[in-house]
Amino acid sequence: MAENITNQNITQGAKTKQVYTSTNKPIWCAGCGDYSVFASINKALTELGIDKSSVAIVSGIGCSSAMPHSFSTYGVHSLHGRLLPTATGIKLANSSLTVIGTGGDGDGYGIGGGHLMHTARRNLDMTYIIMDNETYGLTTGQTSPTALLGHKTKSTPFGVIEMPVNPMALAISAGATYVARGFSGDVAHLSQLIKGGIEHKGFALIDIFSPCVTFNHDNTYDWFRPRIYKLDSVGHDPSNLNAAMEKAFEDVQTKYEKIPIGLFYKTSRPTYEDLELSFKNGPLVKQEMPTKEQIQSILEENL
Amino acid sequence: MTNVCVRIAGANGDGVESSGGLLVKIAARNGLKVFGYRGYQSIIRGGHVWYQIRIGDEKLYGHGNKVDILIALNQDGIKNQKNHLNKGAFVIYDNTKVNVDLLKGLDVKLIGIPLLDIAVTTSGDPIMRNTVAVGAVIKLLGISMEAFEQVITSMFGRKGEKTVKDNIVAASKGFNFEGVVSSYKLIGDGKQRYSMDGNTALSISAYASGCKFYAAYPMTPASGILHWFAAHDHKGVLFKQSEDEIAAINMAIGASYAGVRAMCGTSGGGFSLMTEALGYAGMIETPLVVVESQRTGPSTGLPTKTEQADLLFVMHASQGEYPRIVVAPRDIDECFTITTQAFNLADKYQCPVIILMDLFISEHIETIEGFDASSVKIERGKITMTNTGGGRFKRYEYSEDGVSSRSIPGTKGTEFIAPTDEHDEYGDLISDAFSGLDEYVEMRVKMHEKRMRKMDMMLKNEEYFVPKIENPSAKIFLVTFGSTTEAVREAVVLLNKKGFEFGVISFNYLLPLDKEKTTAILQGKKLIDVECNYTAQLAQVIMMNTGIDIKNKILKYDGEAITGEEIAEKVEKLYNSM
Ligand SMILES: Cc1ncc(C[n+]2csc(CCOP(=O)(O)OP(=O)(O)O)c2C)c(N)n1
Ligand code: SF4
Repeated sequence: MAENITNQNITQGAKTKQVYTSTNKPIWCAGCGDYSVFASINKALTELGIDKSSVAIVSGIGCSSAMPHSFSTYGVHSLHGRLLPTATGIKLANSSLTVIGTGGDGDGYGIGGGHLMHTARRNLDMTYIIMDNETYGLTTGQTSPTALLGHKTKSTPFGVIEMPVNPMALAISAGATYVARGFSGDVAHLSQLIKGGIEHKGFALIDIFSPCVTFNHDNTYDWFRPRIYKLDSVGHDPSNLNAAMEKAFEDVQTKYEKIPIGLFYKTSRPTYEDLELSFKNGPLVKQEMPTKEQIQSILEENL
Repeated sequence: MTNVCVRIAGANGDGVESSGGLLVKIAARNGLKVFGYRGYQSIIRGGHVWYQIRIGDEKLYGHGNKVDILIALNQDGIKNQKNHLNKGAFVIYDNTKVNVDLLKGLDVKLIGIPLLDIAVTTSGDPIMRNTVAVGAVIKLLGISMEAFEQVITSMFGRKGEKTVKDNIVAASKGFNFEGVVSSYKLIGDGKQRYSMDGNTALSISAYASGCKFYAAYPMTPASGILHWFAAHDHKGVLFKQSEDEIAAINMAIGASYAGVRAMCGTSGGGFSLMTEALGYAGMIETPLVVVESQRTGPSTGLPTKTEQADLLFVMHASQGEYPRIVVAPRDIDECFTITTQAFNLADKYQCPVIILMDLFISEHIETIEGFDASSVKIERGKITMTNTGGGRFKRYEYSEDGVSSRSIPGTKGTEFIAPTDEHDEYGDLISDAFSGLDEYVEMRVKMHEKRMRKMDMMLKNEEYFVPKIENPSAKIFLVTFGSTTEAVREAVVLLNKKGFEFGVISFNYLLPLDKEKTTAILQGKKLIDVECNYTAQLAQVIMMNTGIDIKNKILKYDGEAITGEEIAEKVEKLYNSM
């Protein structure tokens, strides 16, 4: 029993070889895009060598949100749509942790959509990975906020009639400082995007086309492959805001003939942790409990 | 025993609150007891606001029913306050601005002072008219001008010598105004007291108990806590204004998971948004303190008025069953002790603790008898720093008392995933591939029972979960909970002065309740239930736990704070029919 847990063994990102994965068998269907996302996160962590006891992987609810259970780090499998506020609380309490969010498009752009804008503008140093399968997998295939116009699902048997959200444009305009898009069909590329997101100081959003082989028969690997191209290959400059915004709309404007993937936008601005006064004395969890004298002086304010 | 009830009435923006605050401090620093309550509306300018400050030389249990000294800062101050005046009350008003014809024929003493003219000639600042009026009030009360000077110097010293001087000159012009004579003998006991409202007491206690994280979205009457934490953000606590209440509670859960003591707070509307996450904290067994300060009515209701109608709601909020604790402080002093207890219980039993406040206790001001900083004992419960068992860390190990050791992210060897789905001892899910298989059906039962066992354990190990009895040899008891307790205590004093023999049975801990002990306390007694809601929610809780049906009830749901006089009057009527 500890009155004060500030002296705990909190590690500082020692670079050692270690196993980040757990022995839990993933729940995903064979062929699900989320396997590649798992492999890519694992590859990124392994390359970075962050001490696994200082990693927290936080998810919401959905097939994709089962992700943390495949890892042997810390983590929370939170409520549907609430991974960002949970991750925010963790990061604010212990800013020395590496915090990674992993969830679905329904979780992040639907029920949790309100949190996205505010987490992005806060620019906490964390990485948010969205497995975007343009459908609701776990609830057996209803429409999602990123489903394309006309897409038929159990809940839209006559086709979707709402515009899909534009994750790249949304994240950039909300204030995210690292905005990227990956594809489950290319682990080498994806793991580099994730690694870059974790290394980036600030809020990184990585939206990943991660096909649901069971419920989305429109947006399959084979549908994506001929359409996607890498931003690197056309010399896109991720520090150029206008160019990034232009690229964010290219898929819609070309009627999905050309879908760019890669790093859309990257900028540098102070993080929340840089500006928050109460971090002057280090992460909250490492700060001492108030002394009797401090309590007394606060009481005196009420004399 | 002397006590005087002063009411300052005017419009929003007239400085009613700051002049009231000044009076509170002057009295509190001069060994007097104070009880203050504000009436206001959900608008920023205009409206009609008042601040009622009762000052006495003995413990006060309420802000009082009738006004002895009224400061009417505008015409509405006369019109709206006319019916609240005691016989022989003093009415201080600006005789160049306010017409007092409405008071003709009433037994009151009019004190017309050209408040605004004096203010402008003294300092050029019209708001100083309140200071002139306060000067007149302290003279009436029998408090010295030196007392005023001391307070003003320490309050406004930072603003410079001129501000202090102008205030002193303005106040002394009211103090020495012709016809203003010392009329009460309020003599303090020489002890300087802190004065504060319930939100401040709760916040200071949370701070002293090591709470390092507070998340909230603004909502009256809980906003005072938010303002306190925001103002102290750099002093070792972090305040986060979230995008909504859903985010607030989820952030607090995240922070607590990461190892700091965390709290969130709101009123009923925001609490409605928090409900899903309450069960989340219960499921992942992460300690959490949630403040719910009630206001009147469902929906947006009366945002600036009080009620106690969320008791059953907070007791049952969120789906499924999980351990939780509900407490309701009975007075400002108890806001200190109960908040510390709430944090300790949350940590010891790794569950949410709800502190049920209401606008009345959140926002009324009292002088407190003292808070001993060295009395705060922090108990953090089972936290492990190493994986002693070897192998994978069993975060949710089936333990005899239902509480399993938790680890803090950053600690090596005790990594685990906290899941909101049903899970095994490691935190691995049993909700997906396994649910329904025999072994896992059994596991669900074992895990659910492990968590729920914590409720039995707290009943066994802690002494809190019983109602408190005052004047146990009485013939009849008024039964109440939370913030209504003070008014009930005052009613009992008033009634017993008349020769009755009443006692008080009050609940500050509402969930869980020790059924046997609670039954033993209530059984065979004549009881009258007093609470501020329509459906007698406390009486329902008592019925549920003890089978005792309290027939006689005094219920109030008009939004105004209940007073001792009001209760005493109703009790007397009931008594004759009992
Ligand atoms: C408050 C709430 N509403 C609804 C659900 C049911 N639900 C679970 S997952 C899900 C959507 C899953 O879709 P997505 O987030 O895109 O993840 P995927 O399964 O496709 O990976 C829904 C609606 C829930 N768990 N909680
Ligand atoms: S239903 Fe779709 S998203 Fe879910 S595991 Fe199967 S393939 Fe993946």
